[in-house]
Amino acid sequence: MNQISHASTFQTAPPALQIRGLDKSFIVAGRALKVLEDIDLSIRSGEFVTIVGASGCGKSTLLRLILGLDLDYQGDVLVDGARVQRPGLDRSIVFQDHRLLPWLNVEANVAAALRRSPLSRAQKRETVREHLELVGLTSFAHAYPAQLSGGMAQRVAIARALVNRPRFLLLDEPLGALDALTRLRLQDELKRIVEHEKTTALLVTHDVDEAVHLGHRIVVMQPHPGRIATVLAISEAARQDRSSREFIALRDEVLRLLGVDAGTGAGTRSAGAPETFEKRGQQERQDA
Amino acid sequence: MTLIVSAAPPAERGSFAVPAVLTDIAYGLSLPLVLLLAWESSARFGWLPQQILPAPQVVWATLVELWSDGSLVDHTLQSLKRVAIGFGVGALIGLVSGAALGLLPRVRAFVWPVFSAIAQVNMLAWLPLLVLFIGIDEELKYVSIAWAAAIPVILATTRAITDVSPKLLELGRVLDFTPLQRVSSIVLPAALPSLFTGIREGLASAWQNMVIVELFASFEGLGYLMVWGRQLFQLEIVIAAMIVIAAIGLALNASLEYLERFVQPWKTEADRER
Repeated sequence: MNQISHASTFQTAPPALQIRGLDKSFIVAGRALKVLEDIDLSIRSGEFVTIVGASGCGKSTLLRLILGLDLDYQGDVLVDGARVQRPGLDRSIVFQDHRLLPWLNVEANVAAALRRSPLSRAQKRETVREHLELVGLTSFAHAYPAQLSGGMAQRVAIARALVNRPRFLLLDEPLGALDALTRLRLQDELKRIVEHEKTTALLVTHDVDEAVHLGHRIVVMQPHPGRIATVLAISEAARQDRSSREFIALRDEVLRLLGVDAGTGAGTRSAGAPETFEKRGQQERQDA
Repeated sequence: MTLIVSAAPPAERGSFAVPAVLTDIAYGLSLPLVLLLAWESSARFGWLPQQILPAPQVVWATLVELWSDGSLVDHTLQSLKRVAIGFGVGALIGLVSGAALGLLPRVRAFVWPVFSAIAQVNMLAWLPLLVLFIGIDEELKYVSIAWAAAIPVILATTRAITDVSPKLLELGRVLDFTPLQRVSSIVLPAALPSLFTGIREGLASAWQNMVIVELFASFEGLGYLMVWGRQLFQLEIVIAAMIVIAAIGLALNASLEYLERFVQPWKTEADRER
């Protein structure tokens, strides 16, 4: 259970995404506030890595740096050994808010991600159709975002993020704003979709169950400044079954690492109930 | 107007679509009818002298007379032409300079303080200076109407663009949009509602200032008709002109509102859902 940071399945492949000695500060009220400190993380092709941590641990900031939205940091963010210089279609993201364009219908929102794609018009239409099918929204192709439920809108966002067949799918608390049932359903769907597309995925969440259920490895982060506490491999048994002993043990360990006392209540808690440990009010979130 | 419309009980809307519309119309007409009745009573019982407030029938007869001898049409067309040219030029200038102010922070930094100061001074206050520069001919009407239209359009356009959600702009960066794609696919549609508000305010302002500048210096047009009526002390002509001005103003606003809904199908579709 405690083998650290060696996911056996991916040992042979070279890292597709490598983060080395990463430090990031923001200037807040004239003073430098460190949000990420000495982050080292290697992700191999096809791997699903989840990051958990309390608010203020710089999870979202890390994703912004990988996207290339912010280049002001120390250290390296490397994709296939090359520094990330700018946003690109090889890296896509699903935000917590679906961020669909209200003036485009579902189909056009997914197609919007293909504006810079070299595909022909017919190929674009085909891949949009395929991805709407993948998220099960074919019959809503002509609906506008305002007509969709939160879960449906987030599926569209997932389809949009995948339509370019990116190498990296970054997920910034993508299910955080959904109700508990929809969230559980979409977790399984997300897992299926990512496996189907063979994308390398990096999911940020503060739902420990979600992190254990979806990832091959789980990165536990601590806040102020954000740093990696530990990286744990998730066994197949734990990934497959939310009620398995492995799942519960790993979840409790992660909660313990996060400073939440899971021991007492763990037995009575239903396996699917999400564990959130938002420390609200401690610090305003540094999102986006 | 809007207040009255929303006063209709929500439960009745939807289930009886047509009666609800009729109720709205009935509500909307009730106040004008009451005022008309008061006006009529005033004339009948002599609350105000006829010279100051002519009877409704007199005004109506004046309207019919002005219409049938063609002078009302001539004056109206003249005013509409001035507003069309002035508003057209003003709105175009407003949209272009508003876009520049909104999209280019550096331009905004240079120009905004001066522009805000100018915008504080009503067009009417500029008229004496404008007369010195361009005389009192047609150009004066065009320039002052364009001016009056441009100010609200510039203000609204700039604000519309700077208010575009940074989250959507970030999405544009993530999707690797070109600057042109960012403007056409994100900034423009996001700014459209406020932009339309600006254009509507601009048109209303153009229409109102047309009357002012025609009162100030002109020999034709609805404003002139009012000056003429006042000089003859025929207030029925003044009131008739006011009625025409109000009616056309309402019609202009309503047609822009229709156009606004027409170019934003996603809004109406989503509304219909509720």
